[in-house]
Formats: sequence, structure tokens, C-alpha cells
Amino acid sequence: MTSIDVHDLTKDHGPRRAVDHLTFRVRPGRVTGFLGPNGAGKSTTMRLVLGLDHPTSGAATIGGRRYRELVEPLRHVGALLDARAAHGSRTGRDHLRVLAASNRIPGRRADEVLEETGLAPVAGRRVRTYSLGMRQRLGIAAALLGDPAVVLLDEPANGLDPEGIVWIRALLRRLAAEGRTVLVSSHLMNETASFADHLVVLGRGRLLADTPMREFIDTRVRPRVRVRTTDATALTTALARRGHEAVEHGEGHWTVEHARVDDIGRLLSAAGVPILELAAEEGTLEQAYLDLTGTEAEFTALMQEA
Amino acid sequence: MHFTPLLHSEWLKIRTLRSLVAALCAVLPATALFSALASTDSDGADFDPLFSVFFGVNLGQIAAIAFGTTAVAAEFRGGALHATLAAVPWRGRWFAAKAVAVAVPVLGMGLVTGGVSLVVGEAALGAEADGLTWSDEVRGVVGCAVYLTLMALLAAGLTAVLRSGVATLSVLIPFLLIVSFVVGDVSGTVADVLPDRAGQVVLHAEGAGLLGPWGGLAVTASWAGAALVAGAWSVRRRDA
Repeated sequence: MTSIDVHDLTKDHGPRRAVDHLTFRVRPGRVTGFLGPNGAGKSTTMRLVLGLDHPTSGAATIGGRRYRELVEPLRHVGALLDARAAHGSRTGRDHLRVLAASNRIPGRRADEVLEETGLAPVAGRRVRTYSLGMRQRLGIAAALLGDPAVVLLDEPANGLDPEGIVWIRALLRRLAAEGRTVLVSSHLMNETASFADHLVVLGRGRLLADTPMREFIDTRVRPRVRVRTTDATALTTALARRGHEAVEHGEGHWTVEHARVDDIGRLLSAAGVPILELAAEEGTLEQAYLDLTGTEAEFTALMQEA
Repeated sequence: MHFTPLLHSEWLKIRTLRSLVAALCAVLPATALFSALASTDSDGADFDPLFSVFFGVNLGQIAAIAFGTTAVAAEFRGGALHATLAAVPWRGRWFAAKAVAVAVPVLGMGLVTGGVSLVVGEAALGAEADGLTWSDEVRGVVGCAVYLTLMALLAAGLTAVLRSGVATLSVLIPFLLIVSFVVGDVSGTVADVLPDRAGQVVLHAEGAGLLGPWGGLAVTASWAGAALVAGAWSVRRRDA
């Protein structure tokens, strides 16, 4: 199995530190979401993993080997970094054939990945006639060309239409299910939440979190319960008896903070409170992320203690 | 990683870009046409029948330079270099493959161009061409091909250093059309070792200056080699 290992990686761009002593591992068989605001160092880290930039110190390896030690690297690692990589005057198929030839990948793979990414009908057209979404698909096609065990995609949903976003979500899930190592950067929280199993979060070049997504959300966002009732007095009394506090939102809507729907449901039922609606409000990735970045300083201190 | 797949990939890159094929093909008509025009005028004290026949390389080299520049500059557009170097992380070997893929087509086209220019130019010169020996002619054709190849490589190397086709062309074209043209007439000075002046000695029947025909090409080869080494160094050292 092939993991990506980033070990004490640092990269300075002049006086600015883009990546700061970063250490994490991306494991196979799951989709790892790579999160952080613009400029947090996500793309730089990906370029360092691919040997495109020279690290100031530290190392990144794939399956224990540095990228430039891989023989015919496209057969091991597929990457989408920039949708503008393909020359506008070349056809989509020729762009892929050129890449395939350098790694002795048979030319028919170009047609296979074009089919897979839905570009087969426009394969013979010049890339400059492509929409941003089509270029993005071409970049993903190039990443899949060598049937690699490791896939790195930088903001793959950029420019995709709604149909394309559904498609990429399914593709990422499938690649992980096939046992591949999948690292996907994004700054869109809801998008990432829809496909990631695991999260690596960066802030100003440093590692802020490296945890399973569910855990990331659950430890940062307390669940809430939403209730609608016809009898506000009965509701507040029943809740207060168990130490819960309800906040009114009008028209009979209430929310109970820091509570689980199982507990509140039983409690209200036992008290005979008339319930029109009862729902759990799970924390979102966005809430968890904002909570994290809000307490970044605190978190860093905690990491150093650990 | 073997060199052949890299070469195959680089050759495909050239074949699949229309602008590159067009620049390469333009070498022939540009050279032959201007050679024919120059050969219709055989007056003047410094008339050299061989150089009349190959005078068109002054124009044809611009097409060769455009070819070498464009081939490399295409890698520095958008994120092209990322895709290229992710596929081929051995940057030195990759750049060598690029240089070979630039050199071989220009050399081939240069030989054809030299042959056509010779035929066309001699036809235009008529009796004036009788003084040319067989060895002059062969030297001219081979020299023309090698010269064009070296100029394309010089441009390719410079483009890798400057990382821009526009920058390279705005250095090389004014240099060839103005600087070298103006100071080039002053023989026996530093002008003799400028890449174009030195390399074009091989196209003259009568040698002028210190450099012989092959010595002149060697000087041009040194310029091209220096540009390629600098280009390779830049590609290897800098972040993509």
C-alpha cells in the first residue's frame, strides 16, 4: 500500500514561510481532504510532494521513495495541479498522448480516460475551445492516465458544473474504495464534507489538524436539537427540569443547545409535551473549521504540549 | 527512465502544435526566396557567390529561432511545466530530450533548405556561379543546416533561462537584425565572434577574419552550448 509521507517539511519563499515544519501521512483507501484558507500552503505542499519545488528542509515521500526516484512516475502518482497545464493549441487527446508517451503508457489509455471523464466527444477539439470545467476534467483525465495508486488533486471542483461536482464526488469515493491514496485540496467546506473521510487542515503553513472528519466535527461542534411545539410552557418546564435550556426562534420553533436528539425526544415524550417537529442538527464541517481557525493559537499551544 | 520515451514525447509535442510545424516549414521558403533575390544582384566589390546563394539564412534563421523559442516557451505557459516535470522528474534528461527534439527537425529542414537554396541561388546567379567548386557547395549546404540548428538551440537555451518566448525573441531578433548587422561589417573585431557572424563564415567562398568556416561554426556552437547549459541549470535549480 502506498502512503504519502510528509516529514518535517519546510519551504520558504524568500522571507515568507509557505510551509512550516509540516508532518503528516496520507493513507490509502480513503479520501483525505486537504483544507485551509488560500495561501495556507496546500498547493505548495503538493508541489513539494511532486518534486516540482525544492524544499528548504524536510522531505516528502510516496511509498517511502522521493518523487524523483520513481521510475515512470505517472504509473504511481497522478496529479492535477493546474487546469491551465494543457496547451491551448493542442487537442485534448494529443495532450494526453504526449504525457502517456513519456511514461511508456499505451496510447489507448488516453482514450480510456477521456471516456471516463466524459471528454470523449471533444477529444479531437483544441483545448482553447474547452470551458474551464472541461479543462478541469482534462486535468483529472491526465491524473488518471497511468492508473496510479496515489492521486493528488488541487481544487478539482473548480469550474465544474453541478453535474460535474456530483461526478467528481463519486469518482473520489470510487478511487478510495479501490484502495488508492487520494488527497484532495479545497477551500470549500461543504464540498469537502461530501467526499472526505479524513482531514488534514493547514493554517499559515502549519498543521492544525489531522483527524477523521467525523471526529473533527464532533469534537468541535456540539450537537443541537430543533423542536416545534404548540405548548411553549410545557416544553421549557420539561427541559429546565433536566437542566437543558431552550432558545425560542418564533412560530413555535425552539433549539436546545448541547443536546442529543435521543435524549430530548424521550424526555419530552415522558413529560407529555405536544411535539410537531423534532430534529437533530448535526455540526457541519464549516462550523468545525471556523471553530478551529478561531482557536488556532490555543490549538497550536495544545499541540506543542502533546 | 529511458531516454527514448522522453524523446518520443517531446517529438509528439512538436508535431501536435501547428505553430511549431509552421515555424519549421517557414525556414525553407524564407531562406530560398531571399537567397534567390540576393543572387540576382551580383555587383559590388564584396560579392561572394557562395554567400549570395545562402544569403537567405539571414531571414531563415528567424524562423529557426522562432521554432526553438516556441518549442521551449510552450513549457512555461500556464502550468505546463508542472505537468511536464510531474511526468518526467529528471529535469536534465528532459531538457536534453527537448534540445534533441528541437535540433533534429531543424537539421533535417536545414539540409533540404540548403539544397534548395543552392539550386535556386545558382540558377539566379547564372554564369557568376561557375566559380563555385563542389566542395564549396557541400560545405555551404551542410554549413547552412548546422548553422540554423545551432541558432535554434541558442534560442531554446535562452528561452529556458528567461522562461518566456517574448523575452527571448525581443533579445535575439533585434540583436540579429540591428546589432549584428551594423557592427557585423566591421571585420577583425569582436564582431567576428558574435554567434551569427562567426557561424556564417562557413557560407562564404572566401574566408574573412581569423576564423575558418568550421572554426566559425565551433564559435556559434559554443554560444548555443552555453545557452543550453545555462537553460538546463535554470530548469534544474529553480522551482517549477
